Amino acid sequence: MIATTPYAVTPVWLTNRSTKETVDAELWHSIVDKNLADWEAEWIPDLQRRLKLLNQQKVERRFWPQSRHWDWRDKLREIERRLANLSFAIVAEDMTQAMMTIDLTKRARMPGHEGQHLVYIDFLEAAPWNRNDVAEEPARFGGCGSILINAAIQQSTQEGFKGRIGLHSLPQANSFYANACGMTDLGQDATYENLRYFELDPDSARSFIEKGKGE
Amino acid sequence: MTFDISKAWCRNAGAREDGLDIGAGVIAADPMFTHEAGADESPEASRLALGRFINLMRRDQGLSIEALAEKADIEIGELLSLENNAAHLPDVRTLYQLSEVFGVSQEKLMGLSGLTHANDDDYVEEAVRYAAKSASVEVLNEDEHAILNGLISVLSENAKQK
Amino acid sequence: MSKKTMTLNLTEGEMAVLEELCDKKDLSKTVLLRQALRLYQRVEERLERGDKLFFEDEASKEKAEIMML
Repeated sequence: MIATTPYAVTPVWLTNRSTKETVDAELWHSIVDKNLADWEAEWIPDLQRRLKLLNQQKVERRFWPQSRHWDWRDKLREIERRLANLSFAIVAEDMTQAMMTIDLTKRARMPGHEGQHLVYIDFLEAAPWNRNDVAEEPARFGGCGSILINAAIQQSTQEGFKGRIGLHSLPQANSFYANACGMTDLGQDATYENLRYFELDPDSARSFIEKGKGE
Repeated sequence: MTFDISKAWCRNAGAREDGLDIGAGVIAADPMFTHEAGADESPEASRLALGRFINLMRRDQGLSIEALAEKADIEIGELLSLENNAAHLPDVRTLYQLSEVFGVSQEKLMGLSGLTHANDDDYVEEAVRYAAKSASVEVLNEDEHAILNGLISVLSENAKQK
Repeated sequence: MSKKTMTLNLTEGEMAVLEELCDKKDLSKTVLLRQALRLYQRVEERLERGDKLFFEDEASKEKAEIMML
């Protein structure tokens, strides 16, 4: 049984891209049944609709495995029992806006930090209506990525890993991780679909959390 | 234990993130959609349709595998595999010979076999649907005749394009 | 998430190893033991599935199974 309530909630704020106003939101510590339901009932059909539209316009999409659609609930059930994994969701206006799962048992590869513990982000995704690359109209809410990265860094600090995080970026997100987050690009990983592998060292992690704190 | 994330930080971070896409991990990647959701044009399905077509035509003409192999001047083994093994990738020449003997489009047989990429997916989908309807290995009955006629019309050289 | 407290009795030798590892990895004792527990659970999960745990020699590519009971 997947849990129905997260074990903790941190208040956060998203930006409404059209009105530029901040919107009250919540960071849920653990993905629960409601998030999965939103993912199945809202994210997937919306994404399918957008992709079909894009495909009809003959936009190139690279082929990826589709397995996640079929055993996502099972995967979450697995993660729920595992001490090695944690998950997070951002909810605003009673709808899941983004989700993330992390692994606490992986090690850093960055020169100078090899073998050190870090928080590895297994998966990070925004709802289709918050994305720019499958857009029919402008993205609805912004800021989800930054909040989740912030969460990963703080989790890393709480674990004693000094804020270190690592992840494999999807091609369309390379710029976000490199520029907005200040992560170090360690190059394409041939053992992982040739996705770019990024890491954040303790100093850069502290920078990310500190910058923009003041009003 | 919760985190410390301020409203001001969120506002500033949100501005920094404007216009950028996020996404990490291969399980977050989009699937590729080239057909209506639910359609299954796996190479096996279309090759099964090819095999079923050959089987129905052969029986309709009252030929044994040996006899057809001789008539079409192709290997018996190849013909056997074509009719029974969905994983078998046939010879180009074999398909040419069969298309001549059966009076259907060689190009379309090649598309069904997976030797070439079918430019127009519709005939593949239709052939698979027809083939799925037939099941037994006895003499063709009325229904099977109808199915076979359907397949023949779909696979003929001058079948109307959708 | 509420925390529960436990007292752990270790031999001198075990304590020495724990402290050495903590120094080397720059982790507190609690963090290190938490990591150990996470890894233990993961390994158990795989073993229960019938998988085996190996170390691989980088150079020779030889695999040596870690015997688990």
